[in-house]
Formats: sequence, structure tokens, C-alpha cells
Amino acid sequence: MSLFGLFDIAKSAIFASQTALSVTSHNIANVNTPGFNRREALFAVNSVALSGNLFGSGVTITGIKRYYDQFIQTQLLGQYQNYGKSSALNQTLSQIEQIFNEAKNIGLAVPLTDFFNAWQEVATNPESFVQRNGLLLKANSLVLAAKQMDRGITENLESINETIDNVAMRVNAIASDIAAINGKIPLDESGSQGATAHDLRDQRDVLMNELATLVDFSSYADENGLITITVGMRNLVSGETSNSLSTRNNEEGDKDLYLDGINITENVRKGQLGGLISVRDTIRTNSLNDLRRLTASLIQEINMLHRSGYGLDGTTDNDFFSPLQLSTRDFSSGADMTATITDPDQLTLDEYSIQFDASGNYLVYNKQNGALVTSGPYVSGDPISFDGIEIVVTGAVTPADKFTVSPLADVIKNFEVAIADRQKIAAASSNTALPGDNSNALLIAQLSQNAIANLGGATFSSYYGGLVSTIGSMSRAASDSFTFDDNLLSELNTKRESLSGVSLDEEAANLIRFQRSFEAGAKMIQVTDELLQTLLNL
Amino acid sequence: MRITSFMIFNQLASALQKNMEDFTKLNSQLASGKRIEKPSDDVIGMMRSLDYRLSISTTEQYKRNIAEATFHLKFTDDVLDSVADSLQELKKLLSMGGNAQSQENRFFYAEQAAKWRDLLLGLSNTKLRERYIFSGHQTNQKAFTYDSTAYRYNYNGDLGEINVLLDTEATLPLNITGSKAFSFAMNGPLPTELSDGTPINYTQSTDPLTGITTTTVEIGSAGDPEYDTFTFSNLLDMTNVLSFAFEYKDVDGSDLNADPAIQEEMAMHRLMALSVPFADASNQITNIQAEIGTKQVHLNDQKTRIDSSALNLTNALSETEDADIDTTLTEILKTDTALQALRESASRILSQSLMDFLK
Repeated sequence: MSLFGLFDIAKSAIFASQTALSVTSHNIANVNTPGFNRREALFAVNSVALSGNLFGSGVTITGIKRYYDQFIQTQLLGQYQNYGKSSALNQTLSQIEQIFNEAKNIGLAVPLTDFFNAWQEVATNPESFVQRNGLLLKANSLVLAAKQMDRGITENLESINETIDNVAMRVNAIASDIAAINGKIPLDESGSQGATAHDLRDQRDVLMNELATLVDFSSYADENGLITITVGMRNLVSGETSNSLSTRNNEEGDKDLYLDGINITENVRKGQLGGLISVRDTIRTNSLNDLRRLTASLIQEINMLHRSGYGLDGTTDNDFFSPLQLSTRDFSSGADMTATITDPDQLTLDEYSIQFDASGNYLVYNKQNGALVTSGPYVSGDPISFDGIEIVVTGAVTPADKFTVSPLADVIKNFEVAIADRQKIAAASSNTALPGDNSNALLIAQLSQNAIANLGGATFSSYYGGLVSTIGSMSRAASDSFTFDDNLLSELNTKRESLSGVSLDEEAANLIRFQRSFEAGAKMIQVTDELLQTLLNL
Repeated sequence: MRITSFMIFNQLASALQKNMEDFTKLNSQLASGKRIEKPSDDVIGMMRSLDYRLSISTTEQYKRNIAEATFHLKFTDDVLDSVADSLQELKKLLSMGGNAQSQENRFFYAEQAAKWRDLLLGLSNTKLRERYIFSGHQTNQKAFTYDSTAYRYNYNGDLGEINVLLDTEATLPLNITGSKAFSFAMNGPLPTELSDGTPINYTQSTDPLTGITTTTVEIGSAGDPEYDTFTFSNLLDMTNVLSFAFEYKDVDGSDLNADPAIQEEMAMHRLMALSVPFADASNQITNIQAEIGTKQVHLNDQKTRIDSSALNLTNALSETEDADIDTTLTEILKTDTALQALRESASRILSQSLMDFLK
């Protein structure tokens, strides 16, 4: 063993310390980088090349360790999906809740009560124009309030659809980034033996975390470290290629998600997208529909009584609100349909779909409960009547054709006070008892306390109360589960941080430690040099 | 557990966030005075408070209805007071003019009676705002008008009652029809002869559509020279007959008889015959006023009941949705203390670093 061997050992010590110092400074530099996993240089005794070398040949760095727990990362991915969903639900529902915020007198309750109170005022002074004007004003405020709510909800639904579009675009951007990283990882890792592309993997984890807040997916890595991501059982990312998520309008005009040409809307349940889709569908089929049903039954009941009464000018059979209209939608290739209300009093305020079977029969279903309303052999141009509605379908039909009829779809859009002339307000039940007869006005005023068959036996205000409480409960549940998911997420992040995060104190200690070992290595060179000098001076 | 800088920072940030959130919420509760600011704050409480508020609004409407009905009835009562006074004066005239008098006196009584008749007509056509109060449902028509061809006062109203809601179910008519106040059927045994022994016969018939009772009076026996008959269907007709009788004339202005002696006898008979319906008319008015009084008591009871239920509702509403100021303030102080402590401990922990001790 020559003295020069000492140089080698000292050199290995200096190199190792320097590498360790680089790792430490990388850690310190990235203390605030999200998703960064701390590193540690792994020291090992340098392998001995020659036999008989008893004291070894210094130190070497065998690798850089990345503190990373796959288990925590998998849990985090799952939790990000829950978090994304509850945050979307919480945000959207708290906005929609404001439309029904009866705590601040926003909503229908007050205008509805005022409207019926105004009828009582008319009943007290049936011949006076002052009270009649008051009634028309209150009726118009009721109409306005209903329209504002309807618009508020539809605007929210539209903005949800826009957000779905934007989120889908972000999903696509992330997917292509992940695919690009997927492409780089094997290149980086194949270069040197045993090396791993830590920074790329960290970066990919951050992207996947973000993706998880947007949409629920499952992922698996192959032996080369390439990750495949599937959304709704279709591939979003596979290896270096990514598919793009697209949106298309469905029957209701809402956005459906398509991946790889397949509608995956049903299978997206978590993440922001899952949350948005679920809240959108719930609000559309429940709250919006209930609000429209309430309005429709108000129109139906008030008009029914109003038509039977007499105005000051002796006219009768006048509608108070513009009569209900049917909205139809045509999902057929060759056939056409017209629908008319034959008896507004018989309407059940349900929506119907008209379909056809292979043996040439028409089938009318109730859209809400799916029950078959009526059916029979289809003859082009023959009227089909049910529940106060008459429809006429003309042309050739196929089992793929479908029509829908709804008295609700545009009910608030068409909601207007039909009475322009206050004389026509029918306070009287008989045209011989004008103008002092108030019995019809009394009947209408008492309607506010009556159980309404088309509202399932509820009164107008209790039905509306149910609507508000449903929204309130939904919003409450969303905010509770958001708090829960947020806590759980930060708990998991703490767990990850505890393992993978950078501790500045720890790094400071390491800094000193490796500085000292660097200095000691340098000292060794100096000592060796002095030893050589001693020898040379002999 | 290994603690990193990020963990400390994160924990601090979220604790601060949570505290500020509590702070804001309490502050806004204090500002609005309401514990429930949106349905999700307390769904059940919200539903209760909505229910209370709607009930209060409905109750307020019933209170307005009651006030309107009370006002209307009070007004009617005042008019009927004047009617009763007029009848009193007419009865005095009737007893004073019951004997043969000088023509001058008779004409004076006739004039007086005509004045009372016109006053009664005015009273029967009293208007409250746009409404003739004694016309039933025909509130745009005068209750009584003079038919100058038949020499009678006709009722233009009907039996219509204007009901107001006092509660979800209870209604009460706020008007008295003209046929009830100014026309009546005499009850009890009616006299069959006048004080001088002349037979008299009262025949009454009531029109079911208007409620007007027409009374036909026959004095004497058919075929007698002093045989006389006349009809009336309301107070105005009665007073009209009276006024003309003082002048020894029939309502059409013709003399009762060509013979002055018979004329006087017939007029005296007429005055005697009228004393019974006039007495009954006074009773009728008193009865109606008693009925109005009962209604007013009923309205008052209802108002008291509604007032107390409105008070209960208001209290319940306040209890449900109002923030307790003391509790809220205490909570704010607590949150404030916690926030300060947090800031202090944070400033200590965050400023600690090994780096500071290395040279």
C-alpha cells in the first residue's frame, strides 16, 4: 500500500461529501416545491479491488434515495378524487342555495303569501280598483320572483356545463403531459444502471394528484415505469399516447363526457367532473322540476277557479295567468308530432315520452315514474288522448323514434299574468251579484290553505318549503362532506410530508455534517501531502 | 413522527384559516342579528322560521280583514243610530198628529215627516268609499230609489253578504242588507181592530230574492165609504204614507176622499194603522244594532286571539332564527383569544431554525 493510496481515500471522502452536499442543497432548494420527495445520498464502503487490502479504499455513493411511499400516494390519489367531488358539490350547491335563501327572504315564499293575501284584500273590497291593482302588482312580483329563480337555476346549470367543458380541457392537458413524461422516464432511467428519474416521477405524481381532483380514474404502472390511466373504463393515457376527453350535448342540453367515442358520463362519479355531473342532474331533475311543477299547479288551480268567476264587467271564463302550454321535443327521423291541451284541469303536470315498438304500436310513458300511460296500434294522424292532452303523430315511425311532451319545461318562461284589465279579475261567483260579490275571491284566497292533488296533497307553501329544505339539506351535506374530505386530505398530506417532506433543521444538520466530513477529507490530503514532503525531505 | 417545516406551516395556515372562518361567521351573525343566514345553517330551524314567517304574514292579513270589518260595522252602526233617532222623531210626530188638528199644524207635520223621509232615504243610500253599504252585492247601486210612477220606494239591492276571512275557515259578513235594515216583517199577534173599533187587517209577503217584505193594510170593511187600503215595503214608504196622511192625501197626492169628514177619518185611521209598524221598525233597528254589537264582540275576540298568536309566532321566530347577542359576543372573544395565542405561538415556532445557531 503506497502513500498515494491515502490520496485516493481522501479524494473519495471529498467526492462523497460533495455529492451529499449537493443532495442536501437540492433538498433545501426544493423545500417549498409541491410534491417534492426529499432525497438522501447513500454512502457505502468502496469495494476492495485487491485481496489483502485490509483497510479498505474509502467511500462511495451507491445511489440517491427518494423518500416515497407508494401506499400513501395511492391513498392520496383516492382522497383527491373525493376532495374534488365534494369541493365541486359544496361550491355549486352553496351558490344554488342562495337562490332559495329564504333566511334573507329571497325566493318564492313571501311573494306567494303576498299574492294570496292580495286576494283577501280584493275579497274585502271586491268593487274597488285599488285592491285589484294591488293584486295585479303582487301577481306580477310573484311571476318575477319565479322567473328570477328559474333563471338563477338555469344559469347555474349552464355555468356547470361550461365548467365541465373547461375541466375536460384541463384533463386533456394533464393527460398529454403525463403521456410526455411517460415517454421520458424510460430514456432517463435506462442510461445508467439502477438510476431512477426522481424529478420526473415527482412531477408525474403532482400531475396525477391534480388529475385526481378533476376526475376519478384508475392507474397502473408497467415494469418500465409507464403509467396507464383509465377513466370510465376507457384509456385516457396509455404509455406515451393520450386520448382526449370530449363533451357533447345530451337530450336535456347538458354536456355528456365522451372518451374514445364512448359516452362515459355514467361512469364518472368522483373528482370535480363527477361532482358537477351529479349536482347538475340532481338540480335539473329535482329542484328545477319541482319549482316548475309548483308554478304549473299554481297556474292550473288559480285559472280553474278564476275561469268560473265573473269580472266587474260581467265577463267570465277568463284565465288569470297565461294558460299552460305543452313543450314537445322530437327525437325522430321522419315523423312529426303536435300536442294540445284538451282539458287544462285534467293535467297531472307530468312529463311523457312517446315511443314505438317493432309491431307498430305506440307507447306513452310517464317520464317521472316510467309507468305506461296508454298504448295502442299506431295510425298516422290519429289523435292519442291521455290526462287532458291530445297528441297527433304523423309520418312513418321506427322503434328508434321518440317524442317527449312536457307541460313543465317552459312553464316559468311562459309564466305571465294574463289579466291586463283589472275589471276582469273574477271576484264574483255570479254575474247577477256584481260588483259586491266576493265569494270567488274568497275561494281563491282560501286556495293557499288547500291540499293540492298535483303537488301530492301538499299546500303551495309547504311544497315550496320542502323544496327549500331539500336544497338546504343537500348544501349542508355537501359542506359537511367537504370539511371531512378536506381534513382527511390534509391528514394524508401530513403523513406524506412526514415521510417525504424536507426538514430545514435536518438539512442544516446535514449541511454541517457533510461540511465537516469534506473538511476532514481535505485535511487528509493535506496530511498526506505533508507526509510526502517529509519523505521527500529525507 | 418526523416533523417538517412544511407541516408546521401547513398546520398553522389551516388553523389560522379555520379561526378566521369562525370569526367571519360570528361577525356576520352579529351584523345581521340572525343565527340562520342560509337554509344549510340549520335546515330544520330554517323550515320552522319560514313557517312562522308565513303564518305571521297570513295573520297580519286576517288582522287587516278584521280591522276592515270592524270599521265597516261601526260605520253601519252609526248610520243605524241616525235611523233609530229618525224613527223616534217620527213616532213623536205620529202621536202628536194623531188627533184632528188645524190645517196649518197638519201641513207642518206633513213637512216634518217628509224631511225625515228624505233623511232616511239619504241614510239608506250611505256610501262608504265606492260602496253603497245597504245594497247587498249591488254595491254600485243606490239601495233605495223613488219610483215616481208607482209612488213607492224600491229596493235595488239584493241579499248578498260580503264575507271576509277571519281565519283559515271562519268568515263573517261585514254588511247589513237594505232589506234587513229598512224593511221588516211584523212579528207577534197583529191588532185586528183600531182603537175606535174599525177592523184592520195587515197582510205581509216577503220577496225571497230581495228579502223585502211588503205589507198591505186594509182598514174598514170592503164597501164602506171609509174603507181604505195602502201598502208599504220599507221605512221610506211608511214615512211617505205618513207624510201624505197628515195632508189627508194618498201617496199619489190625491185626496183620500171627496168628503172632508170621511177624509179626516180615513187619515186618522191611517195614522193609527201606522203606529204598529213604526213601533216594530224601532225594534227591528235595535235588533240589528244588537246583532252588529255581537259581531263586533266576535271580531274583537278574534283580534285578541290573533294578536296573541302573532305575538307567540314572533317570539318563536325570534327564538328560532335570531342570534343570541351575548353568546355570539362571548364566542367572538373566545375566537379572538385563540387567534392571538395562535399568532404568538406561530411567530415563535416559525422564527426557530437551526440555521440561526450555526456560525
